[in-house]
Amino acid sequence: MRHPSEATLALFAGGDLGPFQRWRLDRHLADCEGCREEVAALAGMRGILPELTETPEVPWNRLAAEMKANIRLGLAAGECVRTGEAPLRHSLFTGARAGVAVASMVAVLVTALVLERPAPRPSRLDGVVVQTMPDGIQVRQGGQALQLMHAGAHNVTYSVGAQGSMRARYVDPETGYVTINNVYVE
Amino acid sequence: MWNRSKQRLAVLALWSAAGVLAQDVPLDPQRGVKFNLPPDSPVTLLSASMGESRATPRGAALVLDLHMSLTLRNATANRIHGVALRVVSQEVTVGGKASVSVPSLNVGPGEAFPIRIDLQLMRPTQVAGGPLVQVDLDGVLFQDYSFYGPDRLNSRRSMTAWEMEAQRDREHFKRVLAQFGPEGLRQSMLDSLTRESERPQLDVRVVRRRTVSGAAVSADHTAQFAFLKFPDAPVEPVDGWAELTGSEAHSPRIQVRNVSNKAVKYVEVAWLVSDEKNQQYVAASLPASDPDLFLPPGKTARVLQDTELRFSRNGDPVNIRHMTGFVSQVEFADGKMWVPNRQNLENAALLRVLAPSAEEQRLADLYRKKGIQALMEELKKF
Repeated sequence: MRHPSEATLALFAGGDLGPFQRWRLDRHLADCEGCREEVAALAGMRGILPELTETPEVPWNRLAAEMKANIRLGLAAGECVRTGEAPLRHSLFTGARAGVAVASMVAVLVTALVLERPAPRPSRLDGVVVQTMPDGIQVRQGGQALQLMHAGAHNVTYSVGAQGSMRARYVDPETGYVTINNVYVE
Repeated sequence: MWNRSKQRLAVLALWSAAGVLAQDVPLDPQRGVKFNLPPDSPVTLLSASMGESRATPRGAALVLDLHMSLTLRNATANRIHGVALRVVSQEVTVGGKASVSVPSLNVGPGEAFPIRIDLQLMRPTQVAGGPLVQVDLDGVLFQDYSFYGPDRLNSRRSMTAWEMEAQRDREHFKRVLAQFGPEGLRQSMLDSLTRESERPQLDVRVVRRRTVSGAAVSADHTAQFAFLKFPDAPVEPVDGWAELTGSEAHSPRIQVRNVSNKAVKYVEVAWLVSDEKNQQYVAASLPASDPDLFLPPGKTARVLQDTELRFSRNGDPVNIRHMTGFVSQVEFADGKMWVPNRQNLENAALLRVLAPSAEEQRLADLYRKKGIQALMEELKKF
């Protein structure tokens, strides 16, 4: 575990960190008693600073000595916590944690697949489009589409009407009849 | 280090993920599709099967795979030569509609015939209520060119043109058989199959934009059409152009003149394009945009479409260099129609570029599957 610098802790205690750094430090403090104490100490000092500025007879030398002692105490506490922790790489991919990690990755992949499959997305075109598809002809507008299929047919002949229509002509392999599929723009 | 239990855990997790992805369910036929045939319909519905129709969630959408197999029966005393069904999904495609047509039929009174409709809808998951798809009869064309139906998709015109092309091509192959015998007919079929396999096809994407005030499409240049003129065509092209930007063409406009002695109410121009290697492709048909067109003899009119076509082949954009047009269909005010004859197409070397007619496609497929004897038997039926 890497501990934040004293300057960062001081900024945190004064409420001067940005939102992201504050969030990261919050997470760290939840697990690190040493840093928590240091922050508490810094916050406490900050609380008495205004009073000190209002008191002309402040013993600055003693105060400085106490501050140094507090900082040393904080650092020492941090060292205690650090020595008590197991190395990160030994604990990360063991037992249930590995399972949770794999499950999370699969969940992310599934979400990505579901979102990226050919779901209707707003078309970049502002009109209605008629077009050939791998096994059919389609009229499409935004996220809605109507497609006439000719799966299994050979020698499909396509023709286009400039008014906004498309035609696929083929011999239906099941009925044996010539079949003409049309899609039109309304 | 991965041990056996961790591997099992990972496999279990992946298996669970696959289960989540494959939550498709069979569709209820009663809720899925509604068939509408008018009481005086010349065809009756004998059976309708939904087969393996399914609904599958994909992200925020629901994908519906509908596989319908219909059996219709000719309830009239006339022979049916074509049927068109209108397929709509009101809630799904606000801007679109579809149809399934079966031309080149020869169904006698009381006979039954199958039609398959394979459809995929993609719609937001939250939409609910009502049938997913509605199938209506749009029209039936009979042997004598009479027509029944609401004709909301101009099926009468389309099926009449297909039937005229079918008659034209059957007569052509009958002549070949009469002049050159079975071997000549076989060679004609082989030529047709070869042309079809070698015919270059473009991938064309049509974008029809909503009207946006002040919106203008930038174009590299305006290109002129070159025209092919057929001696017997009742309408001839006069002048035309479109705006080109690399592999895109916008707003084609063609001026035509009625050179016949009858009023015309519909004109369609075939639009061919050539790439940098001078390879010619069929780009699109360019129908008259005015539904109330009335073109008296000797008068001119403009065929135009505010549309955008994007050309590609095998995924690569195709830059357009030249454009050619010819009149491919005319409907007179009295409902009669004109299509180019076979000689016109052969003389202009268009057979290499144009797709075969629906009837030629059917006859070639019959020859390929069942041989020359079956083809000759089929030609004798007409």
